[in-house]
Amino acid sequence: MSKSVELPLRSVPPVYYERDSTIVHSHFWPAELIELAQARVIPEHKLLRHTGIFCEDIHRPDHRICPEQLLQLIQNITKNTSADDLSFLVGHQLLPGKIAVISDQLMASTNLDELIDALVEHQAFLSPLINIRRCYEGDELVLYWQDACGAEDSFIFLVEALTTAISSLARWRSNSRLPWQFYFSHKAPVYIEQYEVHLGGNIHFDCQRNAMVIHREYCYQAWAKNTHASVENFLAASRNTVNIPTKGFLAAVYDYLHSNIATDPNLEQTAADFGMSSATFKRKLKKHRSHFQAIYDQVRKDLAVYWINQEGWSSEQVAKKLHFHDVANLRRAFKKWTGLTLLAARS
Amino acid sequence: MLALHKWKLLFLALAANLALVGSLASGDIKTTSEWNWLDIVGEGGLALLALIWLLLILHSRPAGRVTQFLSLGLSAVFIAGFQDWLDEFIYFPEGALWDHWIESGFMPIGLILLTLGIYHWHKEQLLITEQLRKRERLFREHRGLDFTTSLSGAHYLRVQLQHELAQGNQENPLALVLIDIDNFAQINRRYGNREGDNLLHSLSELLLLNIRRNDLLCRYAGDRFALLLPNTGKLMANTIAAEISQAVRHFAFKPQQQQDSIFHSVSIGIAFSCGQTAEADTPDSLIARATQALLHAKEQRDSQQLRAA
Repeated sequence: MSKSVELPLRSVPPVYYERDSTIVHSHFWPAELIELAQARVIPEHKLLRHTGIFCEDIHRPDHRICPEQLLQLIQNITKNTSADDLSFLVGHQLLPGKIAVISDQLMASTNLDELIDALVEHQAFLSPLINIRRCYEGDELVLYWQDACGAEDSFIFLVEALTTAISSLARWRSNSRLPWQFYFSHKAPVYIEQYEVHLGGNIHFDCQRNAMVIHREYCYQAWAKNTHASVENFLAASRNTVNIPTKGFLAAVYDYLHSNIATDPNLEQTAADFGMSSATFKRKLKKHRSHFQAIYDQVRKDLAVYWINQEGWSSEQVAKKLHFHDVANLRRAFKKWTGLTLLAARS
Repeated sequence: MLALHKWKLLFLALAANLALVGSLASGDIKTTSEWNWLDIVGEGGLALLALIWLLLILHSRPAGRVTQFLSLGLSAVFIAGFQDWLDEFIYFPEGALWDHWIESGFMPIGLILLTLGIYHWHKEQLLITEQLRKRERLFREHRGLDFTTSLSGAHYLRVQLQHELAQGNQENPLALVLIDIDNFAQINRRYGNREGDNLLHSLSELLLLNIRRNDLLCRYAGDRFALLLPNTGKLMANTIAAEISQAVRHFAFKPQQQQDSIFHSVSIGIAFSCGQTAEADTPDSLIARATQALLHAKEQRDSQQLRAA
């Protein structure tokens, strides 16, 4: 029998930013969104309503807003336009961004793997509202999205924008159309043509998760050196630019549960490991438009789908790993999470 | 638009004021018990509606002859209605005829002017419809219009395809052409979104000039245009596609910030409805086939570039 290794107790609580932490650089996401909205003649008072953002602040190099304000801005934009392509247009414009230190790193990447490394390293800056999770499944590189601060209705907008941003930058740097597979958990929208044109070929809707997937061989294909001159208006990075937690609160909770699944985590223990009382922890989750069970279910669903599809585990194994009493309970829960039976998920 | 017409509105306000002051000076005010509510609401409502129509028309139209007729006519109707409404509150002496003249004289004059206006509007509309023909083909829906190019979007294209396929027959096939600008993302990156939008707008005008009267041009999405060619065989469709490709190649686009023109090429994919196959075409299957053809054309272009390099 192999010796089981005790997981080290977390002495340091996870670091994360919150919905109201001022970590979003105004000249990046907000400025791009505002410029686009103004080109579509959305009136300024409607655009900035309830956001607490002022147009004159946006281009100040050190100005920052919090995720909540950015979410409100996105809501205002989607409410005041009938266009379906704004998320995709923002996506095309977004990367490599305008902070010298980060965009240089993105542009200097010599293959896809390095590019993704840089993206993940700076995700709090590049993608503050949904965090990127990278993993390898079999022969494939999988990127999927995690709600960082409670995006609610804007989640689809953000997924569209980020997916476009990454595929667009990779296309530019690799100078070729990479054979991505795109998976979206929402239904095929009426504006499916935007997906076709802005993302290209292989798009699937009604999936178990939002992800972009590519065969691993493309990760290490060498790219030509970037000969483009730097984008203008680069902002010199102040030291504190990069020095923020890399994950939002919800993503931090997700990651905690994901890596502690073996200990059958519960609310009290999680709260303690986050260094706060259960009541405070609950309040904080509520502030981020979520609750413990929702995130825990999400983690267990993702793990179950992975174990069943990729690892080919039996239902008994999965039930045991996820601390279900028996397979029947797992089956019921799985149906609730995914809308599929275990058998259907296998095929 | 209202700023264009501020003198008209000022004049109307003055006229209404004059009517009010004149009425107050010459007549006596009725007591509340003498008010007839039905008349007050009915006649007041007429004046109010005439005013709303006037504002809507002025707000949506540039100055010009048609606008002049419409606004004069509606102004006269409003003044007549307003005076009519005033005498619900004011007694006029027996001898005073002028209020009667305003009421009964302005109304027919106003209606005649309005009729003239609508007649000219009708003629103007026929002309505009002719101009818009290649953009909309026999049916108008303003809600799907694309902001950048003023073309209709993919939804409208599907509706039109459905319509054409439903009445299509084997002798008169239908061609769907998808036109994609090569390296459009680079233009956007280099010159910004606004220049990209300008380019799309200019190209849409250029494409409109190169198609026939009965063809329909839509903006599919992003940098992809869709061209619907009714009653068009393979030969004709290929000719039109080649012409468009030529036209775009010779179009010298001038970005605002720089002197040099930029030139473009397009990739084109064509699909034909085939009435003879067992499965009837749907809009989506036709679009899917055209997309396949387009992607194929793009791959060929890429490999040609590679060989050239």
